This record gives sequence, structure tokens and C-alpha cells, in this order.
Amino acid sequence: MSMSATSSSSSGDGPEPNSETLENQFESVTIEESNRIVQKDEATEEPQLESSFNGSLDDNGNHEEFDVLEERIEVGSDARGIGDSGGGVVWGTNSELEVDGPSSPSSSGYAGERGSSSATSASRIGEVSEDEIQEVGNDGDVDRILDSQVAWVPGKRHVDEDDASISWRKRKKHFFILSHSGKPIYSRYGDEHKLAGFSATLQAIISFVENGGDRVKLVRAGKHQVVFLVKGPIYLVCISCTEEPYESLRGQLELIYSQMILILTKSVNRCFEKNPKFDMTPLLGGTDVVFSSLIHSFSWNPATFLHAYTCLPLAYATRQAAGAILQDVADSGVLFAILMSKHKVVSLVGAQKASLHPDDMLLLSNFIMSSESFRTSESFSPICLPRYNPVAFLYAYVHYLDVDTYLMLLTTSSDAFYHLKDCRIRIEMVLLKSNVLSEVQRSMLDGGMRVEDLPGDPLPRSGIASHLGQHKLPTDSPERYREPYSGIGGPAGLWHFIYRSIYLDQYVSSEFSAPISSPQQQKRLYRAYQKVYASMHDKGNGPHKTQFRRDENYVLLCWVTPDFELYAAFDPLADKALAIKTCNRVCQWVKDVENEIFLLGASPFSW
Amino acid sequence: MGCSSSLPDRSSRRLSGLGNPESNGVPDAKNLRVKLVLLGDSGVGKSCIVLRFVRGQFDPTSKVTIGASFLSQTIALQDSTTVKFEIWDTAGQERYAALAPLYYRGAAVAVIVYDITSPESFNKAQYWVKELQKHGSPDIVLALVGNKADLHENREVPVQDGMDYAEKNGMFFIETSAKTADNINQLFEEIGKRLPRTPPS
Repeated sequence: MSMSATSSSSSGDGPEPNSETLENQFESVTIEESNRIVQKDEATEEPQLESSFNGSLDDNGNHEEFDVLEERIEVGSDARGIGDSGGGVVWGTNSELEVDGPSSPSSSGYAGERGSSSATSASRIGEVSEDEIQEVGNDGDVDRILDSQVAWVPGKRHVDEDDASISWRKRKKHFFILSHSGKPIYSRYGDEHKLAGFSATLQAIISFVENGGDRVKLVRAGKHQVVFLVKGPIYLVCISCTEEPYESLRGQLELIYSQMILILTKSVNRCFEKNPKFDMTPLLGGTDVVFSSLIHSFSWNPATFLHAYTCLPLAYATRQAAGAILQDVADSGVLFAILMSKHKVVSLVGAQKASLHPDDMLLLSNFIMSSESFRTSESFSPICLPRYNPVAFLYAYVHYLDVDTYLMLLTTSSDAFYHLKDCRIRIEMVLLKSNVLSEVQRSMLDGGMRVEDLPGDPLPRSGIASHLGQHKLPTDSPERYREPYSGIGGPAGLWHFIYRSIYLDQYVSSEFSAPISSPQQQKRLYRAYQKVYASMHDKGNGPHKTQFRRDENYVLLCWVTPDFELYAAFDPLADKALAIKTCNRVCQWVKDVENEIFLLGASPFSW
Repeated sequence: MGCSSSLPDRSSRRLSGLGNPESNGVPDAKNLRVKLVLLGDSGVGKSCIVLRFVRGQFDPTSKVTIGASFLSQTIALQDSTTVKFEIWDTAGQERYAALAPLYYRGAAVAVIVYDITSPESFNKAQYWVKELQKHGSPDIVLALVGNKADLHENREVPVQDGMDYAEKNGMFFIETSAKTADNINQLFEEIGKRLPRTPPS
């Protein structure tokens, strides 16, 4: 059990001489640990725990994925901060530029099917049942929200499961929050209280490595990655076989932690100082929907990995009008005034010198959109913006102006409610009078940029006469994926793109259209983007400028400059030269309509 | 708490309620505006009571309140007084307990709600009563409400317990059902009657 001494040789991109030993050591460690804990706590769970770990490790025998051999325990005492990929963890270059190989179906209970990059999911029962979008039909326990975005039902799933359930072990992506004493705080699937034994096992792994003066960041076991994040007395763990990069999963854990801080502030740590065995679950009562909605957004919202926000497309003058009234209010003692429609920003202003991090915006809008009570009436709630000040509450006045559009006024003053209410009444009046609200609703219906509308090369775009210079069919619902009327996407096989402006910390993402029409396909594409994003930002491999990557699903082309990042997906048969040319046209298009798709002229936020 | 006492909400909302008008001889204070706060354990039905009172709606799906919601409703009493309730519907979650003073500070009325099927929520209600007696406004009107009266088959808190506790603490007591609308309007009308009528200055 000399695991603490086995700090990973970080540059391994293939089977290393000692990886076998590390693996064996880990196997014995986990099994011993789990046995010990099981005997102490809950003897009945022993076989399950053992088999779940054993099972995934057993996968090692028949791995056929090309990178499975680099199983190892990633240990690095320097593990701090997101995107810290130096030191302890460096992925082999193979993870970026190679085509995904086919995978073998797994035999073990816990191991699920191969992740999102598999070609079709219809015939794979395991995958279908795992998929949070597909499983809607199976869930009668939560009421359906009429959200046209995707047929996704908020709320906790499969509460009847625990780590003894086969279905639980087959879930492709688990998230856990636990305390440093091993008490469960949150689990994506199953009842936290029934997972006490499992939580204790995770805690044992973490503290075992910590006792050696080290820190466990990642364990690879067959198709599974177990990613650990330690935040003081709070431990977060993701167990995933979705093949997402370590950096992505770690980023997701960071967001889950921040979401918790948004609800409770970091002062929750003090509860653990007073009582290490403190049970945090009652403090998070009723917030399951917030976490499940955040986890769901990992598969559809690019903001979760781009760390940027997106705006609702609006005529420049319209957004200016909204910004002016918000600015007016901000000058009267409001810290942040934010007007959003779903996850898209209409306008936002901050008081002098106050800047809002895109991650905070993501978490705040997730919190508000997932909590139904905000829709029923105006609310005044304490919230914490983790990037702004993780130890203090702000007070958020929240009011829905229509079914999708909501105003958030944030202040430091706990008795500002009536002032904020007055502000809202003023804002609402101005927005109604200047038709901003109807423009917002129209834009929600019209949607954003569509690859089919990518203008031809030399044509100068007016960008004002028509909505985003498009000549398109109106759709009746904003986020519904349009029928495949063209069938082949945009020019040169362009299927989709995301453009992120570095300076503005904003991104614009094209609407999905055929052939990326189902939520599954969209999720798979986002996973592919995440993978490329992680590789483009992998410090270990130096800054990439461009990457052209072809696999059986797509051609992905990305281009990173000091000003912007472009991620584009093409037909897998797309021509390289043509694709590059098309990317240039996309960039030109974005520049042409930047007045409409970005929030410009706001004080350059200094995040 | 039979259904016979329930009234259709909309018809009664702005009209005079049942019960005897309280003639307190202060005809000048005709238009009262009071801050009312609802407190109680999570899941006892505070939001449902408010939404039934304000909008005549009942939504059986539970929507956890975050922080506090603000709603207002005006009723007319039989003595032709109108009372505008500015209602703070607070979250019952433990994490918001420390922030409760934010909402009950300056409140003229506190409605403390428990669930008649949950003795635990009755204990929590007593906690809130003590808290308000200590930190609330000295002349605050306190009402104790046993909600979910329609679930009488699962009743675990006897009516008598609620009545006794309320009497001992000088509170107004009523059992309600937001689901069937039983006694919801009566609750607010009774509160309206008990409000101190401030003499004209």
C-alpha cells in the first residue's frame, strides 16, 4: 500500500512499465478499503461495493479502446485550480488528434456503454436507459415542465436506487458530494442516505491519499474515470464512463461546488469546523432540481465549458434601450441588474467596478430557472455569487416579466426589497413602452444564427434589415429543432458552430438543424466540442492555434486566436480546404452581425 | 372543518366575509395596509395557502419556495374596512431560518403554519412562536394554522393540541385546507378583524 509514493509520471501516453503495478496496487487498495468500511458500517453492502470496483477494474482485461492502457492513479499535490493540467495529469496527445476507435461492449455491471461518441444509441439498451433525455418517458414521478427546449424533466431521478441496484451501477455518469467525514451530501442518482457506505468508501480513498501528503485527482478503471475534487471539508466525485476529458469533468465538479456555494456561501465550512460529522443534507433541502438541472446543462449548454455567456439576438437599439434603463437602476444602488430570457442575456449592467463572472451568471440563471417558485411571484432571496464573493450573501430580487424573461436585481442590502420592487416596476414600464419585451419574445421565437443562412463569400451583410441577415422560415417554437428541410446543414457540410469572443466573454452558438436534430446528437456534439476545447486549452501541450479532426461522426475544426475561438462541426466527409474557407466566412458573418448577437459597449468586465 | 364552511374564493375575496363584524369604533382607519409573514416548516403548505388566498389556485405539485415570495391581496371586511395584506411567503428550508428576521421584521401579522399530519411540523411551529415572541414586534398578531385539514385520515396533531397551544400563547387558531379552500378566506378575514385599528392622528 505504497500508493502515496506513486505519484504519476505525468507524461504517459501509453502503457508504461509501471502502470501495471500501479493498477494492481490500486485494485488492492480500493478493495481493501471498501471491505474495511463495509465491515464497519454496513456489512450488507460489501458484495456490491467490491463487485463494482472489481468489476470496472476487471474491464482492464479486455480493453480495446486505444487509451485504456494508460490506467493509472493520477496523483499530484499541486492540484489546485481549474484547468491545472500540468504536473499530475497530462493526457496523451492521442486524445486529441486521433479518431475514436470502436469500443467493445462491456460485461461488468457498473460499466456502462461507451459514451456519447458512439454512432447510434437506439439499439443500445444500456445507453438509452442511462440517457437523461430518453429516460423522461420512464419517469412518472416528477411533473412535466412544458419546456420546449428539450423534453427534460427536472428533479431527482431514481431515488429508489442505491449502490446495490444494478440500474444504479449502470448509470453512465454519477456525481457525488460528500463531507470529509464521509457523509453523503448529494448524489445524482439514488437516495443519499442509502449511499452512506459508498460515500464512506470514496472518503476513504481520498483521505488515504491525503494521509500520504498527496492528493488524488483521477482514477481510471476500465472505461470509468473517477474524478475527485477536494474543497476544504467538501469532497466532490464524478464517476463517469462518458469519455469526457478529465478537464471537463473536473470543470463540472467545480461548477457543482460553486452551485452549492451559490445556495449556502462558503461559510458552510464553519459548520464542519464546529462539528466534523455535520450533516449538510438538510441545508440543501429542496435543491435537488437545481443540481439536476445543472448536471443536465453539462450536456446542452456550452457555457458550462466555455466559461462565457450568450446573448439573445436583438437589434442593437433594442439592447441599448434595455441597457439604458438597467444602467439607470444600477446607479441607484443596485449591484447588478440582469435581464435574461432563459439562459440568454438580454442586457446586464453592474455598478461601478462590480464585474460579473460568466460562471456566476450560469449558476444564477440555472438556480432561478430550475426553481419553479420564482415563476409564481416576485421573490427576494439570499444568494451568493461564488466568483464575486464566496463568503457573503447578496440579495436577489427576481421577477418574471413573461414566461421566459426574468429580471434579476442584486444588492448587498437585505432591506432593499421595496426599492428593488420600485425599480422593477420602472424597468418593466420602460421595457413595455419601448417594445423591448415584444422584441425579446420575437427573438426567442426566431432563434439565433443558422448555418443554412451563412452568407456567400463576397456579399457584404447588412445585418439590420432582416434578423441576423437571414431568410428563413419562422418556427413556432424557439428551441425546437427544425425539420430537416435542407437535410444537409449549411454550405460545405457545415453543421454547427460556436464562436467565442475572448474579449467580451461571450459566445454565440448556431441553432441546431439537421442532421444534428435529436437531443442525443446534440449532446454528442457538445461532448465532442468539450473534448476539443479541453485539448485546445491543455497547457501541457502548448497553445494550439488550429485543429482539424475527423472521425466517423464529424469533422471538427477549431481555431483559436487571441480575439476569438471558433469551433465548427462539419459533415465527416467535408473537404478540408472548403471547411477552412467556410470557417472564415463564419467569422466574417459573426463580425457582420456582432451588434445583434453580442452585448457590446458594456463596461469591459475585468474578469 | 367540514367542507360546508368553505367558500368559493373569488366570490368572497373582495366582499365582506363571514363572521361577526368587529365594531371597534375607529371608523377612520378604513384602509389598512399590513405586512404579513408566513412561517413554518418546509412542505406544510404555506405557499399553497397564499396562492389559494391571492389567486384562488391550488397546485398539488410541490414547488419549493426559495428565500421568500412577495404577494399582496386586499380584502374588505364587513365593517367596510379594507385590508391590504402584503404577504411574505417564506421558505421553510432550514438554510433560510437564520434569515427569517429579514422577513418578519416589522410584520404586523405572523401566520405560523403546521401540517396536521406532521407532529414535527407542529414542533417547528412552536419554535417559530417562541422566536416571534422574543424578536417580533411587540404588538404582532399571531395566528396558528393547522393546514392540510382535508387529510384528516392521517391526522397526527389533534385539533385540541393546536387550540390549547394557541390559547396559551394568545394566538388565533384555525385549521385550513389550501387544497379544498376550507377556511382560507376565514383565516385572513379573522386576522383582518384582529388588527389594531390605529386612531387617526
